[in-house]
Amino acid sequence: MVDVSQHELVPEHTVLEEEALEDVLEEYNIDRTDLPKIKRNDPALPDEAEIGDVIKIVRDSRTTDQSIVYRLVVE
Amino acid sequence: MQDTTPKDIGSLSFGLMEPEEYREMSATKIITADTYDDDGFPIDMGLMDPRLGVIDPGLECKTCGKHSGSCNGHFGHIELAAPVIHVGFTKLIRRLLRGTCRECSKLLLTEDERDEFRDQLDESRKLSRDLNDVTKAAIRQARKKDRCPFCGEIQYDIDHEKPTTYYEVQQVLTSEYSQRIAGAMQGDEEEGVERTTPDELAEQTEIELTRVNEILSGSFRPRESQRKAIEKALDIDLTEEDTNKLMPSDIRDWFENIPDEDIEVLGINPERSRPEWMILTVLPVPPVTARPSITLDNGQRSEDDLTHKLVDIIRINQRFMENREAGAPQLIIEDLWELLQYHVTTFMDNEISGTPPARHRSGRPLKTLSQRLKGKEGRFRGSLSGKRVNFSARTVISPDPTLSLNEVGVPDRVAKEMTQTMNVTERNVQDARRFVSNGPEGHPGANYVRRPDGRRLKVTEKNCEQLAEKVEAGWEVNRHLIDGDIVIFNRQPSLHRMSIMAHEVVVMPYKTFRLNTVVCPPYNADFDGDEMNMHALQNEEARAEARVLMRVQEQMLSPRFGENIIGAIQDHISGMYLLTHDNPRFNETQALDLLRATRIDELPEPSGIDDEGTPFWTGYDVFSELLPDDLDLEFTGTIGDEVIIEDGQLLQGTIAEDEVGEFGGEIVDTITKVYGNTRARIFVNEVSTLAMRAIMHFGFSIGIDDETIPEEAQSRIDETIADANDRVEELIEAYERGELESLPGRTIDETLEMKIMQTLSRARDNAGNIADEHFQDDNPAVVMANSGARGSMLNLTQMAGAVGQQAVRGERINRGYEDRTLSHYEPNDLSAEAHGFVENSYTSGLTPREFFFHAMGGREGLVDTAVRTSKSGYLQRRLINALSELETQYDGTVRDTSDTIVQFEFGEDGTSPVKVSSDDDNDIDVEHIADRVLDSEFESAEERQEFLGSKPRPTNLSEHADDRLAEGTEVTSDD
Ligand SMILES: [Mg+2]
Ligand SMILES: [Zn+2]
Ligand SMILES: [Zn+2]
Repeated sequence: MVDVSQHELVPEHTVLEEEALEDVLEEYNIDRTDLPKIKRNDPALPDEAEIGDVIKIVRDSRTTDQSIVYRLVVE
Repeated sequence: MQDTTPKDIGSLSFGLMEPEEYREMSATKIITADTYDDDGFPIDMGLMDPRLGVIDPGLECKTCGKHSGSCNGHFGHIELAAPVIHVGFTKLIRRLLRGTCRECSKLLLTEDERDEFRDQLDESRKLSRDLNDVTKAAIRQARKKDRCPFCGEIQYDIDHEKPTTYYEVQQVLTSEYSQRIAGAMQGDEEEGVERTTPDELAEQTEIELTRVNEILSGSFRPRESQRKAIEKALDIDLTEEDTNKLMPSDIRDWFENIPDEDIEVLGINPERSRPEWMILTVLPVPPVTARPSITLDNGQRSEDDLTHKLVDIIRINQRFMENREAGAPQLIIEDLWELLQYHVTTFMDNEISGTPPARHRSGRPLKTLSQRLKGKEGRFRGSLSGKRVNFSARTVISPDPTLSLNEVGVPDRVAKEMTQTMNVTERNVQDARRFVSNGPEGHPGANYVRRPDGRRLKVTEKNCEQLAEKVEAGWEVNRHLIDGDIVIFNRQPSLHRMSIMAHEVVVMPYKTFRLNTVVCPPYNADFDGDEMNMHALQNEEARAEARVLMRVQEQMLSPRFGENIIGAIQDHISGMYLLTHDNPRFNETQALDLLRATRIDELPEPSGIDDEGTPFWTGYDVFSELLPDDLDLEFTGTIGDEVIIEDGQLLQGTIAEDEVGEFGGEIVDTITKVYGNTRARIFVNEVSTLAMRAIMHFGFSIGIDDETIPEEAQSRIDETIADANDRVEELIEAYERGELESLPGRTIDETLEMKIMQTLSRARDNAGNIADEHFQDDNPAVVMANSGARGSMLNLTQMAGAVGQQAVRGERINRGYEDRTLSHYEPNDLSAEAHGFVENSYTSGLTPREFFFHAMGGREGLVDTAVRTSKSGYLQRRLINALSELETQYDGTVRDTSDTIVQFEFGEDGTSPVKVSSDDDNDIDVEHIADRVLDSEFESAEERQEFLGSKPRPTNLSEHADDRLAEGTEVTSDD
């Protein structure tokens, strides 16, 4: 089987640590349910991701080198 | 005044209304279907009862005492003779019927299941998901139950016959049970089923033998348990379907018993909405202000559609009550009940599928409540999201190359109609008096004045002189539009930001709006009858905003692709090409004439002295006068040559589309980004005027002779075509002999088609190439094609060489008659001619058959555009509605109205496409830009160090102020 998460076009997905998450939520002044969502069965997720975790996605960007996005794992 | 205080909306809640609430808010009960009596007075407790509000001016409202205009009207109510179903809730009613017990009305879910769905609801609310998914799942789960988990009652299926009828489907004992049992007891020898005696049956079913005999004779109906036992013993089915209609009153009783905590599981808040309220017992009657009657010319009153519908409802309601009191048979009562249901249904929605719409006497369907709200013309899209406005004008547009691209020519009659409010002060009182004294007819005049006491006076031809003397500081004067005012200008369809831009007014005679041709691309306008809208802004805030953000020059760069969308077009491009292609020479008079519409009033040093000793100026040097002094640029140009600009001097290259054109002309783009929008506007204005002067200097015209070719070339083309026809014949013969080899993945037929298409398209190209050889470089069509002004070499090929293969759906033309395209051809003729190959050119003329095929291909193009525009319009609407509430917040995130994050940074990179490099291959060279800015800014390194303060941005004032700014020695950037 091909592991999609290793493909060069799939950006890096990592589970966000609890403390880092606190900072993120504070920075944007939101609850974790206000974050964009990602489904648990999304093939890009790391194996250890569980429902309720927050994923940090780091993409390459032509204009800003890196673009960082957070998503809440659901269902 | 109290009503008009602005208030914040804290929250909104949606729910159902209780019948008692309808009665409480009602001003009167309506009992009679009549509206007015013989004297024309509204009848008490009729549909036009004066307590429902006033529409006639002068009368007083009987409920609130206000006059028409300030009284919003008041609801009344009708007591329905029998409950009816509200059409808006038929789906929810069906769901509740299916999910609750027919006996005890409890939700058919065990405690555990309830908890689960309650949790799911909470989670969905938190994640702002669709609650419907959960409640639907809950009902699906409840429907699976055969028996009520609480009272044990058997549950039946609910059938819904649209729109408002519900049936319970029960399995009951068939009336022919005795025959069926007897038949089964006979047995079937062929199938090997043995006979059953009554004794055996009694034994198997544990029913007494006498009972069995009674059952067999049909004198006793077996009970349910007995029926099941017999069914099991004989392996037969003794039931039949029985549908039992549920009357609205039954449903109401059923719903009344649903416990509050049960509907909570279904996501309904029992405090705000009880399910039985979905069955109407009281009907609110909208106020007369919502359904005003109109008096026709002949004095007759014409009532609103809603009133007509209410009359029907009341009539049936009364007949229903009379019949019931008279003890009419059940059948008649049910018919009347159904009729009442129909009228109440169509009162709310008259476009339900399966229900004939209620019609007016003329046959026109009535416009009832839902029709008032729905659709393009409905309340939401037609009256709230968009509506007709004052201070707007619409007329045909025409071009005026003498205007700046920031300006718009406004007809004087429009300027006199639309006004700007002028607050009179000490400093403008003279102007204000002049405007007023000119009156409403003279041009810079005024239409109204407002005195400090708030009184508004109309300025007329008679009173204008007198009024002008009275005008003092503190008055308001509504003066006409004058040159320099800012207005908003728009062309539909408004598909992007640049479809609405602000222009400065230039008042002009005649009836059309005038605009500079370089703003055609952003508006996608031409002058074949296009009309545009203008809006005069009505307060200082709006005017300032429009000036700073919306002026045409501020929209120079498109946010779609980050390059300039405004630039030279069409003849401007041809003109620049003629001016710079062979770098021609001009004498002093000619050079001055070329530059006379620009800011340049002194020629530079001559480029050289010719043989006769007179100085001359080259096209490069004339063009270079328009460039910023320190512009350096090097790129590959339109015609493939290298364009080099050094220190604002064009050294090499032809100026054409890729240099100064719309949609990313390199020089315009660079000037906008490096020198600012104001400089770019000046540049585009001047390029277009210079180009017009240039094209007029050389003369530029095109005629049919420019597309004809010599005899010799024509015969070569004929040869090529004949050759291609021969090769097509060869292919067809090979195909018919079965010698054609198919290409991989294609059938033989497809292969043949492909090869023929290939051969013919090569023939067309060859014909084009032969034609091209005979066109000189100064041929106007060639000039236009090469410079990118208009047309392509393909167009030229088709005019001079051959038009080529016509296609429908990407294939040769294959439709028409059986086995042939036209009756002129033999069946199954595969030749080029029979399938739409046009071997003539547009100049030589098409044969009738060629013309017909050409029309077929042309029609496809037209249909495609029509379909594409309607499809993309719908897509655009959906996209706009989906994105309209997203907003970039001050922290850089993009959020919707409920503050959920859509993007963590605008565009995921926080940059504007307009501010970012337009070149895919090159990163933005920030260092270089910073150095350039600092170098031009400071003389010495110390000063440069001292910098790091802020530079004040020049205020974005007006065309004239900008010109003064840009005329100065140093060019000030405004971004
Ligand atoms: Mg047009
Ligand atoms: Zn009133
Ligand atoms: Zn029950």
